[in-house]
Parts: sequence; C-alpha cells; structure tokens
Amino acid sequence: MVPFLLSAALLVLVIGILAPLAAAGRDMRSVRILSLACTALSSLALAAASLIVLLDGDPVTIFLCQPTPAIGIVFSLDRLAAFFTLLIAGISGCVAVYSVEYFDHLSGNGRRNVLCGAMNLFILAMVLVVASATTVSFVFFWELMAASSFFLVMYEYANGETRRAGVFYFIMTQLSTLFVFLGIIALFAGTGSFAISPIILSSSPLILPAFLALFTGFSIKAGIIPFHKWLPYAHPASPSPISALMSGVMLKVAVYGLIRFLLDVFAPEFWWGVLILAAGTVSAVLGIIYALKEHDIKGMLACSSIENVGIIFIGIGLSVILNALNLPALATLSLLGALFHSLNHALFKSLLFLSSGSVVHATHTRDIEHMGGLARRMPYTSALFFIGAAAIAALPPLNGFVSELMIFVAMFSSIPLVDPFVKVLLFVTLALFALTSALSAACFVKAFGSVFLALPRSPESEDATEVSSLMIVGPAILAAGCIILGIFSFQIFSLAGFNLPLPDMFLVGVLLCGTTVLVYGFLYFTTPHAHRVSPTWGCGASAQKPGSEYTGFGFSEPIVTIFSSVYRTKKKNVRHFYDAKECLFSDGIAGIDLIKVFEEYLYIPIAKAACRTSAAIARFQNGCLDTYLLYVFVTVVAIIVFLGWSA
Amino acid sequence: MMDAALVESIIRILFAGVIITAAYIISTRNLLSLVSVYALQSATLVGIALCLYTIEGAVVLLGIALVTFASKVLIIPYFIATIQERIRIKRDIEFHYLNPTTSLFLSMALMLVIYMALSSIMPNVSGKPTLFFFGAVVGLSLVLMGMMVTFSRKRAITKVLGYLTMENGVLLFGMFVTELPFIIEFLIVIDLIILVILTAILTVGIDSTLEEYHNRLHRFYLWEGTEDVP
Repeated sequence: MVPFLLSAALLVLVIGILAPLAAAGRDMRSVRILSLACTALSSLALAAASLIVLLDGDPVTIFLCQPTPAIGIVFSLDRLAAFFTLLIAGISGCVAVYSVEYFDHLSGNGRRNVLCGAMNLFILAMVLVVASATTVSFVFFWELMAASSFFLVMYEYANGETRRAGVFYFIMTQLSTLFVFLGIIALFAGTGSFAISPIILSSSPLILPAFLALFTGFSIKAGIIPFHKWLPYAHPASPSPISALMSGVMLKVAVYGLIRFLLDVFAPEFWWGVLILAAGTVSAVLGIIYALKEHDIKGMLACSSIENVGIIFIGIGLSVILNALNLPALATLSLLGALFHSLNHALFKSLLFLSSGSVVHATHTRDIEHMGGLARRMPYTSALFFIGAAAIAALPPLNGFVSELMIFVAMFSSIPLVDPFVKVLLFVTLALFALTSALSAACFVKAFGSVFLALPRSPESEDATEVSSLMIVGPAILAAGCIILGIFSFQIFSLAGFNLPLPDMFLVGVLLCGTTVLVYGFLYFTTPHAHRVSPTWGCGASAQKPGSEYTGFGFSEPIVTIFSSVYRTKKKNVRHFYDAKECLFSDGIAGIDLIKVFEEYLYIPIAKAACRTSAAIARFQNGCLDTYLLYVFVTVVAIIVFLGWSA
Repeated sequence: MMDAALVESIIRILFAGVIITAAYIISTRNLLSLVSVYALQSATLVGIALCLYTIEGAVVLLGIALVTFASKVLIIPYFIATIQERIRIKRDIEFHYLNPTTSLFLSMALMLVIYMALSSIMPNVSGKPTLFFFGAVVGLSLVLMGMMVTFSRKRAITKVLGYLTMENGVLLFGMFVTELPFIIEFLIVIDLIILVILTAILTVGIDSTLEEYHNRLHRFYLWEGTEDVP
C-alpha cells in the first residue's frame, strides 16, 4: 500500500510539474488549477503513506535504479522520514489551496504557470531528499531543491531588490550544497559506502571533517547564525506561498538532514552536542532580537524562523549531550521536542506567512507602520494570524507551547543528573531560551497590534478588504492543526507509543476555557451595565488620529535601546538654533541607525577579500604572450626541480 | 674509425660551443649576427651528430645530420636573413622581465639546477658523468635558454630564434637520451621551416600592400615606423 501511495503521489507531482511548464507561453488558469490540484492530491497520498508508516513503524524501501555498482538510487520511508514527509505534505497541501486564488492576483501572465511547475518541482525535490536512502540521491535532490527554490525566489526578477535577494540566496544555497557534498565525499572516503547507514570504521580520521562539513551545510540551509543572512532577503522577495514553503518546510529538510546523519550515520560525541546547542542558542536569541527590530512583516517572520530553527537545534544539541552522558530517556524527550517543534513551526510559520501574504495583498505594502486597523476590515485573516501569533509565542494550550515545554522539561530534568560543567552550560542555555520565549511573545504582540489593531495608518489600509475564501481555507487548516496538535498533544504522543512527562493539554485547555468563561461571567454580572457619557481631557486633541497611536517603532524602541550593543544602535540628534541660548530652533536631524553586524563585520569583509583575491589572480591573465611564456618557463623549471628533489 | 676517446673529447668541446652560442643568442642586441650564430649552433649540432655516428655507427644519426644541415644551417637562416633584409631592423634592445646580464646569470643557475636534478634522476651516472649525461644536461639547458629568449625579447624575429634554439635543445636531448625516431625529427624540422616561412609572410606581406601591413608590423614589434620600407 505504502509503495503504491508513494509512487502515485510522485507521479501526480510530476504531472503537476509538466502540465504548467508545457503551457508556460500562455496564461491559462485551468492549467494552474490542474497543477495545484495535483499538489493537493499528492499531498493527501503522501500524508496517507506517512501516517501508515508512522503508526505501523515498518520502514518501506523503493529501489529506483543502479547506475553503477557503487551508486544506487534507493528511497526508504522509515518513521523519521515519514514524519518529515507528513510535514511536507501537510504544508504543501494547504499552500496549494491558498495559491489557487493568490496566484491569480500576481502579475506575470504565463510566468504564473512556470511558478506552479517550479513549486511542484520544489516539493518533489524535498520529498525525495527526505526519502533518500543513499547519500548520492540525497545530494542530487538536495541540489534540485536548491535550484528550484532559486527560481521561485526570482519570480519577480524585474525588481532589483528581488534580483539582489536571489543572487544572495543562490550563493548561500550553493555554499550549503558544497559543504553537504564535501561531507558526503569525506564519508565515502572514510567508509567506502554511499549508503546512509551507521559507520563501521568509527576511528577513521575523516569522520570529524565529514560531520563538520555536513553540520555547516545544514546550518546554512537552516539559517543558523552566522549563516542566516539569506533568510531576511529571500523570504520577503518571494511570493508568500513560496515563503511559507521555504520557511515552513525547506528549513526542516535541513533539520531532517542533521538528525538523519546524527542518528543513522555518526556516533556523536559530547562536544558535537555542545556545538549544536551553542549554535542553536545564539540563533534563537539573536534571531528574535533581529525580528523585533524588523518592520517588514515578512522580514520579521523570516528572522523569527531563525529563532525557531535555533530552538530546534537546542533540542537536537541537548539530545546529543544527554545521549553522550548516558541519559537516553531525557535525550529522547529532547529529540522529540525538537521534532515536534519542527512540525509546529512548519504549521504556524506557514500560517503566518500565508496570512501576511493576504495582508500584503490587501494593503499593497509590507511595512507594518503603514497598516493598522485590519482586524475590522479582515476579520478572518486577523483571527488566523492571531492563532499563529499565539502559537509561535508559545501560549498554552497551542502547539508551540507543548514543544518548547518538552525541551524545557528535558533541560530541567537533566540538570540535577549532570556534572557541574554541563550544569552551568544548561543553566546558561535555559536562561537564554527563556529570554527567547519572552522576546518572541513581545515580537508577536507588536506584530499583531501594529497590523490589525487601532486605526489604519495608510489609505491602502483604510480601503483593505477581506481576501477570497480559498485564501482563508488554506491558512484555516493550518490554524486548526496548531490548535489540535496543541490540545491533543498528549494523546498523539501516546498513540505514537511515547509516554512523556507532559501535562494533558486537553485538560489544560478546558481549564483555561472554563476560567475565561468564569472571569467573563463574573465581570459581566458584577459590573454595572448603565452607560455613562462624560467628556475627558484629550490633551487638547479634538479627535484620535492614526499618527498619535502607538506604532511598531514605538513598541520596539525600548528593546532596541536595551539591546543596543547587539544592534550597534547609533542615535543621531543634531539641533541648530538661531540664538546663542538655544531657544529659537531653526533645524536639525534626528534618526536611529542600526548596523547590520554580521553583514558589515563578516559577509562584506569576506566578499571584499574574495574580490581582492580574484583581482590578484585575474592579473595573471594579462593578455601578454611573454607573460604566458614566462609561466610555462617557471612551470618547466619547477617540474625539473620537483623531479630532481623527489627522485 | 677514429679513436672513441678523441671523439668524446671533440663532442665535449662541441658542447661548450653549443653553450657559448646559446649564451650569445641570449645576450646579443645585434640582430644581424643572431642568425649567423644560430646557423653556427646548428652546424655544431651537425658536428655532434657526425661524431656520435663515428662512435655508435647508427645511420639515423647521419640522416639527422643531413636534415639539420639542410634545414637549420641553410634554409631557415636564409629565410630569416631575407626577412631581416626586408625590415631593416638591426638591433633588438627591448626586453621583458629579464635583461641580458640577468639572463646569463640565470642560465648558469639553470644549468647547475638541471645538472643536480638529472644526477638524482639518472643515478647510474652519479660516479663519473658520461657523455650522454652531459648531452642531456646541455640539451635541456638549451631548451630552457631558448625559452628564456622567447619571453624576454619583444621582437617577433628574436622570439622565432628563441624557439629555434629550443628545438635545437630538443634535438640534442633526443640524440643523447631519448633517441627520437627520425621521422619525428624530420617532421619537427618541416614545422620549423613552415614557422619561418609564415613569419616571413607576416613580416613582408606578400599577399597584400605594405600600407596594410604597417599596423601589423607595429603590433609584432617588427617595425618602429621611422625608416622607409621597400
């Protein structure tokens, strides 16, 4: 059954790729609908196959071809692969439903067909990366995923900002592929096999370089700091469904790669876990700090993805550490927390990207300072965004709370059992993780408040209307997922065979609802209902205006001040006066500059060094025949010396 | 047949002659004498081939001597002399990367390096250097000295002579170490003749008017543009 479902899903996806590409020259809505229907259908088939494997626990292997005796293209769906396939299928299906009407609003005529085809190719590549049983097919489909996502990012290529983002993304994604490729080559050199299977010769000196290369490659793709800069560029530049797929799903494919190689190939050492934990903690804290200062709604969500991937890495790193310290039960809890957070992040981040896509479509801006008052104009979208914001802010009883709680519980429970050094490490991580959760809540209070509450701050926001039904249905399924996975998390883990020390969130949810009803009822019945109208002092203002509201800038200003050492904030306030006693103000300049630390201190110096090196190498090719003859001469002499020396 | 020891001594003297001619080609600024020295160097190689024939008795050495004499002592020098006569350039005073003095010092250092390198590569001759070992050292040195001429001189005509010197080095190396088949040596000589003929065509422009070639002459550093061209 599973091989049939899997093969059928892949076949339908191929149809979904080829049909719109064949009609690339013409703007045909029917072909787009066919293609997106293929996406939804294959998602259903993939989800069914994944659920069967997840519940049965028996892995399924599909042999495709064997080009050479050493290299085979083999796919395998075990529980880990099935979990990530389910994640890909769930998000892809919802994105397909949303895209049916969203793509109609995009400019580009026939290019929209290409967008559909490329999106299906991207989904196919991600599914096959997860299903790969050999390193060769893994790296092949990894590169296919990278290439197809580049074309998706470049959809609005006429826009200079998109082109810049596309080039940046292309360089980073190719770097990621390079490191993954190097890791796989090192693994092959160390083990002599392309299979993703446990290493027999664990003493090989190439194992450590292989791990470091793979870790770097996966970190670049997952957006771990300091390799994160492509996210805030690529996500805002892409159409919203693509941002949802990239942030919600593609980052998780990198997480899958790391977990797969850690669990199935390597025997991780203690310090590997410390490395992963440190990378995750730094990414979580800095990611959310950067998200707080963003006023581009999609840029903010992109930075928040860095934070959430950081949390996932914290879970993975903690699991490796606890395994190395021989605490398997807590290691499992931590790893399950990381996996569950991967699924949850995929759900609420896709939900937020799709909702923000609706908002951007309605207001024609990504700047949250030009939004406001949309809760009344777009009630369904605002409700969906609220559920996503509450889930990502880890509010009970939603899914984000449960997965973060699992990692917290693993951390708390392990602290009494480990030696002092690890205790200190875990305490520091715990403190930073808690800070992250608090800042995340602040970030999404700001986002929801600035976008949906108060009065509209632009004419576009004033005129915004609710989006069409399919653009609500897609995110609504994701929102339902966030609620169900949160409330029934205990039951879901029990069904999967894990008895975890978690509270039953259904009971928590009932208690919360009951408390809310009771408080509301108490207030309703105890407060007087008579209306009282009386003038208040409005500071001299005759009416409330949008400009006098609490803006996103105003909300984040204290945080920008607190973390000025991270942002490298430079406040500028220059005033000129007509008189010497500085009473009559003439003019002045005021502003806040935030230095892009990693860009200015890491990326740009590396880019400049690369340019200098390239220029130095380019000087060797000067077009002069004599110079080339000189090179030949020097080479011949060097060969003679080498032969004489080595003989 | 002559005494082998005497012939070996003659060959060693001829080696010295080859090195002296190469040093002259590297260092001279006088273009007119350059072609004569090249012809002299080629004639020295003919002498070496004949001497070697008296020791080994291989007929192919006679063939090589004959072909070398016809091509490198007579035909090629004739063509180059014709070119020089047409373009009326008498001196080559522009250098790239190396001036003549530095080139000479570098040549000495190169010969030392090649001697040491070949001593390691050919361990059977480490006791007493044989004639063949010296032949290899001189041949390889001649190749590198010719290469130095090709990149250190700006005028095309001198570069051509550098290339021809390189080929003389290959011939010498081939005679003493690798024993190139005669047919290959013959084909190389034909290549050289074609190269020189092409240089002549480029230089004097037999298929075109001189005005059209004026710019090209400048480009190949064959002409400074102040003297009248016939």
